[in-house]
Amino acid sequence: MSEAIIEVNQLTKQFKSNRAVYNADFKISKGEIFGLIGKNGAGKSTLLKMIGGLIHPSKGEIHLFDHTVKGNHTYFERMGLLIENPGFFPNYSAYKNLELIAISYGLKNRKKHIFELLELVGLDKLNKSKVKNYSMGMKQRLGIAAALLGSPDVLILDEPINGLDPQGISEIRKLILKLNIAGMTILISSHILEELSKVATKYAIIHEGEILEIISTEELLLQCEERVELEVDEANIIIPLLENDLNINNYKVLTNQMIHIYDTHVENKQIINVLVENKMAVHSITKYKQSLEQYFLQRTGREGESFD
Amino acid sequence: MNPLINLLKMEFNRFFTNNMMYILLVIFMAFQVFGIFMIKQYEQPDQEGILLSTMNESQFIQAMLSQTPSWVMMYIMVFSVYFYMSEYNAGFYKNYISMKNARIYSVISKILILGLFTLLMFIVMLVSDLIGRAIFFENAAIGDLQYFFKLLVGQFLLHWAFAIVILCITMLLKNMIASIIIGLVLVLNVFGVAVSLLESLVWDLNLSSYLLINTIVSVMDFNELQTVIHVVIAALAFMMLFSFVAVRYKLNEDLR
Repeated sequence: MSEAIIEVNQLTKQFKSNRAVYNADFKISKGEIFGLIGKNGAGKSTLLKMIGGLIHPSKGEIHLFDHTVKGNHTYFERMGLLIENPGFFPNYSAYKNLELIAISYGLKNRKKHIFELLELVGLDKLNKSKVKNYSMGMKQRLGIAAALLGSPDVLILDEPINGLDPQGISEIRKLILKLNIAGMTILISSHILEELSKVATKYAIIHEGEILEIISTEELLLQCEERVELEVDEANIIIPLLENDLNINNYKVLTNQMIHIYDTHVENKQIINVLVENKMAVHSITKYKQSLEQYFLQRTGREGESFD
Repeated sequence: MNPLINLLKMEFNRFFTNNMMYILLVIFMAFQVFGIFMIKQYEQPDQEGILLSTMNESQFIQAMLSQTPSWVMMYIMVFSVYFYMSEYNAGFYKNYISMKNARIYSVISKILILGLFTLLMFIVMLVSDLIGRAIFFENAAIGDLQYFFKLLVGQFLLHWAFAIVILCITMLLKNMIASIIIGLVLVLNVFGVAVSLLESLVWDLNLSSYLLINTIVSVMDFNELQTVIHVVIAALAFMMLFSFVAVRYKLNEDLR
């Protein structure tokens, strides 16, 4: 089993009468890109701020690198944060802002390190421009550079593609994948599952402060894959017929009454014909296709709504 | 201690590359010299019949600082609010606040920077006083150096304590305009006057003389040991109290 870099247990944050996060439990393993998906106001930023050490939990525990962080901030230092808006002095240049952060970290060889990061995020030619003249996308990229400044082991990105144009989104995505390939563990939040699905390896769906589900990419894709849901009397008798007569090999038996068939080359009519010919009862047969968006809306109880 | 030194270095770098600091000092210097010119034009003897232009530097400083609103306090108040709020509004603290003890060190380093700004204000005040007095009063006498030194150290500590009070209020309010309004009320010594008045009606003590602004604006004889002790106690008490409150607050603060 891979090493858990971040583990939260029963993490709760209460702001006066508003319960922002409630009993969050999850683990993030080394090398994962963990996606936190939830609509605006679901509690994503609050959860990330607790993990990043910006706000104090009302209840629960955070373990970083296998150590509890209660009263010990040492482990927060190993994380790079970009939470909500990047925090920069607007009247200073990108270089100057990064230099100040580097000084606060006590980094040696600052200039070289800063230019490497500016080059990585594509801002090396604009390092002298004041941050107030930067576009939203440039600020986000600079935010990522700042988060990477201390060579962290974990990168926490809160809605890093907010306000970006398609090209900017694509650049950030490539950067995230590049960092992950280099070994960095990434915790990323978004309210756009479609986008998150292009990078994340595991997801947590958060709704009204509660983690509703934790699901891997494989499981998510399986859930959203086109399938035929077949309800019968006895699945174990049906299966040989499906395999032999219809050449169906990609299926999943959920219960002895329910089978999910993922082989899309077979029509419903063909399945019914084979079962009728063999005197098998069919209670229902449904062709099912669900988008990632529908899946998310279904989980958050907002089916029928449009989500973006 | 390294993280404290690193944060302090960062704040120093920000301080010395901050245009606002230079602008405030230059404006203060210009107005201080101009103020001396205006004093010369419309000079009237004070309550003891002494003309400001005949005073030595120690007397002149005390006369200037005892006027409310005190411009030195005003500039310190504006800079204290600005220095904290510019970082808070930019969200820059998010880049380093997760580090070990950064919350404590961040407050300590800001307190030290405010001390530095207060020191620069005093240096600029002295230089501009000497220039202005030499030009317009034709009098650049400093007076008894020992007295002058005690006065400067005492008033420096009091003004630094005032900067810490303002820093603490700004941290609690997290709003530039509200902090400046409260700062103005403090500079005008509304609170000190009200407490002194209440105190004189209720009992025969004089505890309000230990209030920070009351101590700053009081003309005192620094030759007396009791005065020096009074000033040092008032300054250190306010420094420690408000530094403690600021650090405690920062430790428990949920950052946006």
